Amino acid sequence: MRTAPTAAISLRGIHKSYGKNIALDGLDLDVAEGEFFCLLGPSGAGKTTTLKTVAGLEEPRAGTVSLDGTDMTGVEPYDRGVAMCFESYALYPHRSAYDNLASPLRSPRYKLPAAEARERVGAVADLLGIGALLERPVGRLSNGQRQRVALGRVLVRPARAFLLDEPLSHLDAKLRQAMRAELKAIGAVRRTTTLYVTHDSVEALALGDRIGVIREGRIVQTGTREEIWHQPYDTFVARSFGRPRINLLPGTVTADGAFMSADRFFEIPLTSPAAPPVRSVAPGTAVQIGVRPRDLSLGSPALGPGAIELVGSVYITEVLGRATEVTVRLGGQHLSLVVPRADAAGLRPDTPVRLTVRPESLLLFAADDAEGRPGRRITE
Amino acid sequence: MSSSLSETGHGAASREGSGPPARVVPRWRRSLRPYLLIVPALLLTGGILYPFGLGLYYTLFDFAASKPQPDMVGLENYRRIFSESSFWDSARVTVLYAVGAAAVETVLGVGVALLLHRSTLVGRVLEKILILPLMIAPVIAAIMWKLMLQPSVGVVNHLLKPFGMGGVQWTDTPAGALLSSIAVDVWVYTPFVAILALAGLRSLPTSPFEAAAVDGAGWWFTFRKLTLPMLWPYVLVAVIFRFMDSLKVFDIIYALTEGGPGDSTVVLQIRAYLEAIRFQRYSFGISYMIVLWAVVYLVTMVLVRYLGKIQNRAAEVPK
Amino acid sequence: MKRGVRGKLIAVAADGALILYFVFALFPIAWMIILSLKPANELFSTYFSFTPTLDSYQTVLGAGSDEGVPFLRFFVNSLVVSLGAVGLSLVIGLPAAYAAARWRFRGSENLMFTLLSFRFAPELTVIIPLFVLYQQLGLFDTYLGMIWVLQLVTLPLIVWIMRSYFSDLSPELEQAALLDGYTRKQAFFKVALPLVKPGIAAVSLLAFIFAWNNFVFPLILTSSEAQTVTVGALSFLGGDRPKYNLTAAAALVSVIPPLLLALTIQRYLVRGLSFGAVKS
Repeated sequence: MRTAPTAAISLRGIHKSYGKNIALDGLDLDVAEGEFFCLLGPSGAGKTTTLKTVAGLEEPRAGTVSLDGTDMTGVEPYDRGVAMCFESYALYPHRSAYDNLASPLRSPRYKLPAAEARERVGAVADLLGIGALLERPVGRLSNGQRQRVALGRVLVRPARAFLLDEPLSHLDAKLRQAMRAELKAIGAVRRTTTLYVTHDSVEALALGDRIGVIREGRIVQTGTREEIWHQPYDTFVARSFGRPRINLLPGTVTADGAFMSADRFFEIPLTSPAAPPVRSVAPGTAVQIGVRPRDLSLGSPALGPGAIELVGSVYITEVLGRATEVTVRLGGQHLSLVVPRADAAGLRPDTPVRLTVRPESLLLFAADDAEGRPGRRITE
Repeated sequence: MSSSLSETGHGAASREGSGPPARVVPRWRRSLRPYLLIVPALLLTGGILYPFGLGLYYTLFDFAASKPQPDMVGLENYRRIFSESSFWDSARVTVLYAVGAAAVETVLGVGVALLLHRSTLVGRVLEKILILPLMIAPVIAAIMWKLMLQPSVGVVNHLLKPFGMGGVQWTDTPAGALLSSIAVDVWVYTPFVAILALAGLRSLPTSPFEAAAVDGAGWWFTFRKLTLPMLWPYVLVAVIFRFMDSLKVFDIIYALTEGGPGDSTVVLQIRAYLEAIRFQRYSFGISYMIVLWAVVYLVTMVLVRYLGKIQNRAAEVPK
Repeated sequence: MKRGVRGKLIAVAADGALILYFVFALFPIAWMIILSLKPANELFSTYFSFTPTLDSYQTVLGAGSDEGVPFLRFFVNSLVVSLGAVGLSLVIGLPAAYAAARWRFRGSENLMFTLLSFRFAPELTVIIPLFVLYQQLGLFDTYLGMIWVLQLVTLPLIVWIMRSYFSDLSPELEQAALLDGYTRKQAFFKVALPLVKPGIAAVSLLAFIFAWNNFVFPLILTSSEAQTVTVGALSFLGGDRPKYNLTAAAALVSVIPPLLLALTIQRYLVRGLSFGAVKS
């Protein structure tokens, strides 16, 4: 994790609670200058509160927010120079789309001459494909159109950082995909530090220069998409990315350093030369082994030496477009994998199958503890 | 969406260089903000609470026009009130009035609301003028009814003549005076209950009623098992308002009967008025009001708590 | 078929019942109109047939009429004190309502509760001490004194209703304005206030009506200079011979402003009448 002192956005030890509910519990976060940073987490994890704390709309009970290295404690939202797109849009319902977009450019802080403002609003509106809707009152726009007006209100003005709260969530699937592709291409976005909140891991992986995973008011892990994918901090992060979800099988470490499934049905060596090094784990420790569905293959193709083989039987198959998700029963466990549709053609329930996986794509985690806290990764 | 704009517009301006000046507003000033907004209201409220406190203080004296240099008498005023039969008579009349008026208004108001809820042509026309009596000052309403109820030349007795009861002494008998006062209250305030009940009826979810209709439930069953329980929180708000307001009735009785005949319609506020203003026994009159105030306050607390419970229960019903 | 006939009968009966209620509700108003149009000599000799005349209105509204009741002046007084009371309550109540809606803090909760208790407090509890106090302060029978005491009626109404309107407004709208570069004051005036304008209009009219209709305050705290129509209308009933036609005319004149206003705010009445407890 970079802790550059000149981080564009820097949060240190932020605590925030609403009555008895703790929203942020000692949150630390750094977003570098010009970076597109995605904050991913389930609802209620504190994503929106984080954005609002950066914007100065929520005052933390403890901790500091700095922008470009300046402590923002006590600085009013309008003096922080950040722009925010609200998940609820927060459009002014009594005004037209145009007036909503022009609002920042009429404020004392970002005032532009009327002609310039009109030009600027027009350009942003065309960019977002809402140029024809400008005269409409926002009450007569669809949710997707409102969301684009809300995004436009952010892009229309200069800002030291953009704070975007699920800005694509209300768009229909097709438009969402198109916007996702083009959002980062927008010049203003490319140049401006952006903190982007989402609960959609695909969006986070597609957009984020770096990604932060938030859970119960704390950042669990930050990193590039490769780091997050290949070296998840714990089972929570591992489960947050990838559909179908990563397979996590409970078991223990044996005396000779192998993984033994909880029902003693199969064993996987952990000490092969190709496998990632494992921190010393005492034999008998409860662990979980993680393997992503796309890292598993059917049959024994040439995976090279050291590939691990597992034998089980088909439990169920489900077609996902061109690929098929196959759920395989290994004793008491189920393991899902994604294979090309053709490979799965002959599979019926109870067909015996052989699975192979490269040792380096195995992840070893500690067991989730009694309170359900996710287990940390043990492989280096 | 075309990404061409991206390059137009505020090229350099999109980064704010050094950023805006970070003017710091100290924490004490930020936390003071909401208080500053309510200070004027607090002052004004204080200006109203002051006479109330002053009144409370006066009750410990025997202040009266005949005694401008009052002596401290402790709780003597209250002891006298509770030992006088006239207080208990007033209390009885007040409760009779409040219960009677609130009950009739509730039944009649809910009835009118149910009829209007059918949204027939007649109903839609009449609904527009439903509020008229409610917007007339109660004292004016009482004056209007006083003219109509006059025994010899009033129009009510004239209209009743064909039915063989032309000579009713409306406000000149104790029972008649109380009933007439309640009637005026009913005339003014039934729309109040009806309006709130109608708003309640219109906000009820439709699905339970559709389900009941599919199950072939009868009108009475639907009304008792669905409409009434779901409507009750709304009606209760109206009942609370009406009951509390009737406990402190003044205008209607002042204009219609002035408490007469005899003392038969002297409710507590009228009694306090007579004592404090007519007979200028200030301390004693205020003591009456403090007693009424305490009663109203307690009853309000109980009713509002009950209302909260009811509303919570209603909120739990899946819609 | 039988059911259809029965259903129709019930429908007719229901409409009939409604009409019956509305006859009860409207007849007194109609009767006042009739009384007020009757010439003095036909007042007690006939009921429904007479030669209509506007004499009563002329007498009632005539300045310094021979009846010695300056009713027009009372009318102006009502207007001044009601408008004054609503204006003062708005200026003072709107910020308080906004604060109470946006920040839940002890001060605002206490204020809200105290104001609610005003709504239910018997008026005389405050008026009798005020009667004594006003004599000392020289506020007896003055506009200022009336406007002050009418806050008991208008302020709780305005603060409670406006808090409910402000609460319905998402705070994110003002937050968006702050990030657009507006100050908190501008966010309030440019965003929050325009959005609750219909609520302000409705609650102001309702508060005006209640202030106008008030009777106890002017009865006890005014004598002639600041007396209002509600007290004034009673004066025609006094004297040795009750002047029914004049009383009716005075009553009608004094109910015209509230009735006209009420018809314009029908839609918003529910929330106002229930102090925000019921929304429609």
